[in-house]
Amino acid sequence: MKQTFVLAGLLLTGLFLTAQQKFTIGGTLKSKRNGETLIGASVRTGSTGTVTNDYGFFSLTLPQGTYNLQVSSVGLQTEIIPVTLDKNITLNVSLDEISKDLEEVVVTAAPKGRSLKSPQMGIEQLSTREIKNIPMLFGERDVLKAIQLLPGIKSAGEGNAGFFVRGGAADQNLILLDEAPVYNASHLLGFFSTFNSDAIKDVTVYKAGMPAQYGGRLSSVLDIKMNDGNNQDYNVSGGIGLISSKLNIEGPLQKDKSSFLISARRTYADVFLKLSSDPSINNNALYFYDLNAKLNYQLGSKDRLYLSGYFGADKLGVGDLFALKWGNGTGTLRWNHIYSNKVFSNTSLIFSNYNYEINIKNGANDVTIFSQIRDWNIKHELQWYANDKHNVRIGFNSIYHTMRPGDITASQGSNFNNQAFQRRYSWENALYVSDVWKMTDKLTLSYGLRLTAFSIIGAGDFYNVNAAGKVTDTMRYGAGQFVKTYVNLEPRVAASYELNDISSLKVSYVRNVQNLHLISNSTTSSPTDKWTASTNLIKPEISDQVSLGYYRNLLDNKYELTVETYYKDMQHQIDYRDGANIYVNGAIEAQLLYGRGRAYGVEWLLKRKRGKLTGWLSYTLAKTERKIDGINQNQWYNARQDRTHDIAIVAMYQLNKKWSFSANWIFYTGDAVSFPSGKYTSGGEVYFYYTERNGYRLPNYHRLDLGATLQLKNKKHWSSELALSLYNAYGRENAYTIQFRQNKDDPSKTEAVRTALFKYIPSISYNFKFK
Amino acid sequence: MKQLFIFSSALVMLLAFASCEKVIDIRLNDTAKKYVVEGNISNEAGQCTVNITQTKDFSENNDFPGVGGAVITVSDNGGAPVALAETARGVYTNAAINGTPGHTYTLEVTVGGQRFSSVSMMPAVVNLDSVYIEDRVLFGDSTKIVNVTYKDPAAKGNAYRFIQYRNSVREKTVFVTNDDFTNGNNVTNQLLIFGDDDADKKIKSGDFIKVTMQCIDEPVYKYWFSIDGATGESNNATPANPVSNVTGGALGYFSAHTTQTKTIVVP
Repeated sequence: MKQTFVLAGLLLTGLFLTAQQKFTIGGTLKSKRNGETLIGASVRTGSTGTVTNDYGFFSLTLPQGTYNLQVSSVGLQTEIIPVTLDKNITLNVSLDEISKDLEEVVVTAAPKGRSLKSPQMGIEQLSTREIKNIPMLFGERDVLKAIQLLPGIKSAGEGNAGFFVRGGAADQNLILLDEAPVYNASHLLGFFSTFNSDAIKDVTVYKAGMPAQYGGRLSSVLDIKMNDGNNQDYNVSGGIGLISSKLNIEGPLQKDKSSFLISARRTYADVFLKLSSDPSINNNALYFYDLNAKLNYQLGSKDRLYLSGYFGADKLGVGDLFALKWGNGTGTLRWNHIYSNKVFSNTSLIFSNYNYEINIKNGANDVTIFSQIRDWNIKHELQWYANDKHNVRIGFNSIYHTMRPGDITASQGSNFNNQAFQRRYSWENALYVSDVWKMTDKLTLSYGLRLTAFSIIGAGDFYNVNAAGKVTDTMRYGAGQFVKTYVNLEPRVAASYELNDISSLKVSYVRNVQNLHLISNSTTSSPTDKWTASTNLIKPEISDQVSLGYYRNLLDNKYELTVETYYKDMQHQIDYRDGANIYVNGAIEAQLLYGRGRAYGVEWLLKRKRGKLTGWLSYTLAKTERKIDGINQNQWYNARQDRTHDIAIVAMYQLNKKWSFSANWIFYTGDAVSFPSGKYTSGGEVYFYYTERNGYRLPNYHRLDLGATLQLKNKKHWSSELALSLYNAYGRENAYTIQFRQNKDDPSKTEAVRTALFKYIPSISYNFKFK
Repeated sequence: MKQLFIFSSALVMLLAFASCEKVIDIRLNDTAKKYVVEGNISNEAGQCTVNITQTKDFSENNDFPGVGGAVITVSDNGGAPVALAETARGVYTNAAINGTPGHTYTLEVTVGGQRFSSVSMMPAVVNLDSVYIEDRVLFGDSTKIVNVTYKDPAAKGNAYRFIQYRNSVREKTVFVTNDDFTNGNNVTNQLLIFGDDDADKKIKSGDFIKVTMQCIDEPVYKYWFSIDGATGESNNATPANPVSNVTGGALGYFSAHTTQTKTIVVP
């Protein structure tokens, strides 16, 4: 705590020493067409410049003089604005679309261009244009699947929405939708993600050097921002696909001042089930839907309010025997206030909910199991563009978590007893300060500190557990009583050094702390995976990561090369004991083991940013291991997410105004899995004997996907297109699982059986837009 | 409870309509042999048997010969150890030991220079009230399922294992349950079988069904519960050896249990 103040004090004295005759230009950048604020747009003069923040605000301090400001953003026309700077000024700019009459179709793919100057590293960004063009399974454009084509971000496999960043587990990614944490980002047991790409404005992934305003997960931050809604014109757009349809409506409430957006998506696999006359089929349910809505209102020139919400749910049902429903709901109320050209603030009130419900009917038994995580969250942040050398952020965040691990409600006369697993309450607080300091023309330093306090609050029983996993002691706490508070300091440091106009070196160190843990013994994600907060025995997970990177623009900025290497150490990693029973009431700690993790690797990315052909080549060479007492004879073993090689080639080709094509090819080392070392008999049946954890590999995975988009009409008020795709174009039978069993015809033999999921999945979808 | 999750993973597989299976060749490392101890004492007179076998390499056949020459004793409630005689190769019995509910049995095995031991408590008898057949429609197919009913005692900590025989062929599925969620209730348990689409193995009218119910203690429950991880067919869970109640480095279990059997002809 004391360090924080010393640091803040040092920072402040540094800031005031640089008072000269300088003035500040501050303002907001927007798109002229739809009034959306522009994130990461650039405002430059000569070699100095800045980019807009998440709300389109910028602040640039320059010595007195006359300047030609160059204002630019991807896909929009660059404007040159002359300014005479003899006082502080406000400059709001709206940029126009690139004219459609250009002779040649020139595509700029890179969203913001990796800034050579910014010390931020380990960052990946995708524009919606890129996401739109990548061919996907069933033609469903999917943000989570698209980011898995980037280096260091690994897919958890087919039929799995999870992803692994630099050796982290799937629960170590902080997924934010308009600042609200999303606990389960998957639909249909993982085949699709909860993010409807039509409603999304910006996607940023931080793999390293997370800025101090983010915290709570070890490995990455996936920050997704929804569109604000068009405040110029009404727009209706939509799409009809193989498995789902989408509709998006947006428009001004008051032109230039306020707007709304509603975006909905629903799958209709179950509609086809209904067509069947067989009651055992038409009784089944299988669908999901999403609803995104947003309102924003400009209150005068200095204040803006945003209200955004997401609601999505899945339902799976087998007749009236079994039903599984799950869904996320989030809500965010935000208030931007511009105090001056130099000071911007944002205050957010956030609600986040995840729950699932299982219903089983079976004779006299009608049993419902309900589980929920609910967060109330408040955030406040001040961004202070102190002068041309310092950009300071100060903020706090306070979250109250309520977890209901499982409430069982049974019908009268049922086998089952009504019972509620103990609810868990916790209060997570964070205070942070950071500064980006342009030390010299070439050297920029970003440093910050995040102080977190995680308090576990009663009522509830807490336990002591011995080495054998037996509960030795139960401590009872009353309502509101503090059980334990974990306080952690998380330093965040990064520096960039420009070697010359086209290349730079960056280095960073970051510590992250995680107090909510997803406990799963499964290799795939399930809606019923169990989130658990830290307890007196489950310690906060801690990671320390150092990273070094080299960045170079090639051939007049047509290409961009990035090489990053990292080493990450992870403490207090959690796994289940062998034979653990996940579905028990009482001390979950009795089922758990703890240990360490380490991950290291090198990532290459070569991106072609302009021209008819755009795309990238990404390659990751990496290692991820764990060492947990009680697993694998206490030796290091390959983690589930360990993959040696991971390659993705993504190409998009704009042939002419009508046709565009795309292809991606993916290759990765097979997952680390446990195969038997022998077999034996027990109770007259054959079982397999396992000696090492994850000592084997599934066969290498590779796949080619192809896509094509045909622009049908593009009129002033109406446009439409047809999108075709072919998933797994050469029909490779990639192993989903390898299982072992007795040969059916000759039970004296055992055999290995590979199951593959998708072979050639073609799809077609039709998209339209009224303008 | 576990059935739910099997249900949902079965659905995943169903979703993957294009999925295809293929037998492939995999080279698996061989490993040093390990002893497997299977000890059973029931409340039926003369039922005290211990089988000793060994693990085999994956590529070998599924014939598991018994291991002879072991010295095995069982003691009843801390009494003097009684030796078991080898009645067939690897099979050790003593017809004079009569299991009694409430008693704790201690097993000692010496074989090949290694010593293994285990303790198991025989729970009180819970009556198997009835066995009947129910038709259920699962994924479009009508399936006949065996139901068992019993009254779980008021005190917590009961566990049960069921063994189902169809026309004298034992069902491979391990059926175990405890009273974590059903304590003190009249319980109807469905012996659900997953993953076997083989039409010949489905229960049909006229089949002769036999169900044996064992009341087992917690460590034995844990063994049978966790053996799922060693079937080689668990879809998503990390495979692992079952949690054994035998100490000293052997695989297997030592189970003191009560036993009851009911039979039914499928209507």
